[in-house]
Amino acid sequence: MPQFDSTFFSSLIFWELLSFGTLMFLLYKYAFPFILGELEAREKKIKDSLDQAEHHRSEAERRLKEYEAKLSAVAKEAEGILAAAKERAQRLLDENEQRLTVEAERIKGDATREIEHERRKAVQDIRNQTTELALMVAEKVVQRSLTEADQRKFADDALEALSKSYQR
Amino acid sequence: MEESPLHPFELHNFIPITLGGVDISINKAVVMMWVVVAVVSTLLIIAASSRGRVPGKLQILAEMLVGFIRSMILDTMGKDGLKFFPLIATLFLFILFCNWLGLIPGTYTVTSQIIVTGVFAGAVYLLSVVLGFVLHGIKFLGILVPPGTPAWMLPLMIPIEIISQLARPVSLAVRLFANMTAGHTILAVLFGMVISLPFYVSWLPFAATLFVNTLEVCLIAPIQAYIFTILTCVYLGDAVTLHGHSEHAH
Repeated sequence: MPQFDSTFFSSLIFWELLSFGTLMFLLYKYAFPFILGELEAREKKIKDSLDQAEHHRSEAERRLKEYEAKLSAVAKEAEGILAAAKERAQRLLDENEQRLTVEAERIKGDATREIEHERRKAVQDIRNQTTELALMVAEKVVQRSLTEADQRKFADDALEALSKSYQR
Repeated sequence: MEESPLHPFELHNFIPITLGGVDISINKAVVMMWVVVAVVSTLLIIAASSRGRVPGKLQILAEMLVGFIRSMILDTMGKDGLKFFPLIATLFLFILFCNWLGLIPGTYTVTSQIIVTGVFAGAVYLLSVVLGFVLHGIKFLGILVPPGTPAWMLPLMIPIEIISQLARPVSLAVRLFANMTAGHTILAVLFGMVISLPFYVSWLPFAATLFVNTLEVCLIAPIQAYIFTILTCVYLGDAVTLHGHSEHAH
């Protein structure tokens, strides 16, 4: 095989090492740092973006949980407020009812008392007028003046009789 | 007269030069090495200098190649292996472009020279051994004892491991050389048939030439460069970490 012809070995080894060394130097100096740098920068950017996205996601999740908790707290609070309002309205209603009942009772009592009072007054008036009428009649009948005490006695007797007849 | 299929591997000195009594004449293989150096450095330096917010095609290609080599090193050697990035990346690119450019008709496949692959393989292996002794001292000899070997097996295992270690540079060199030589020999044979056969059957070897050439360009050339490089990573990684030095594909 021509490849085993050792005539060319020395020149091939020499130029191989020289070419490889030159290529490695050129790439090491002018290509690899920039390409690797760009590659690493892009990788870092992607990683950072992913990290940031992950951070945002967890932050969003945290906020969601927080809002959900707040929302349920608010719902609970609203429920509480509603229940308290209902209770208060019921209490007011009960109070009003009670107050009105008492008021009505009181008005009724007052009216009854007033009626009773008026009735008594009317009876007294009638009694007085009747007494005077009776006195006048009696005076005319007996044609003489009686003393005040007599008059009163007659009147009372008459009234007594009248009152009995009235009660009957 | 039928031309030998090994004819494409023959070298002739264009410019005879000697340096201190050593022959360093310029031949086709040497010129191809220069071409490879020129092409690879031009492509990568242009790609490196044309850094834009939106990367161009060349930049993407260069970044893909560099990223591929970087991940290969990270997978086999870890983060410490990145110290060897310039060496390993240059090795990969040099072998890859030697394989590729050698497929252009009329050029020469540098990697089909046993001495070229041998120098690379020997240098890589030597580097791994020197590195191992520098980093671990005499403990590096532990590489000859696979983990978990019972003591009574040592007299058997150590010679086997020594052979296995010595086979590393040889297999590394021969694999690349043999693959490149075989591929080009097949191509030469097929193309010889295209020329020598009557035209009504010559299309058959011609189609086979196209097929084999496509196979060489798309598969063999990059795969061989990849195998050479990943084994380099494995050997250097063994020397650095002193672990996982069990059998590797040879």
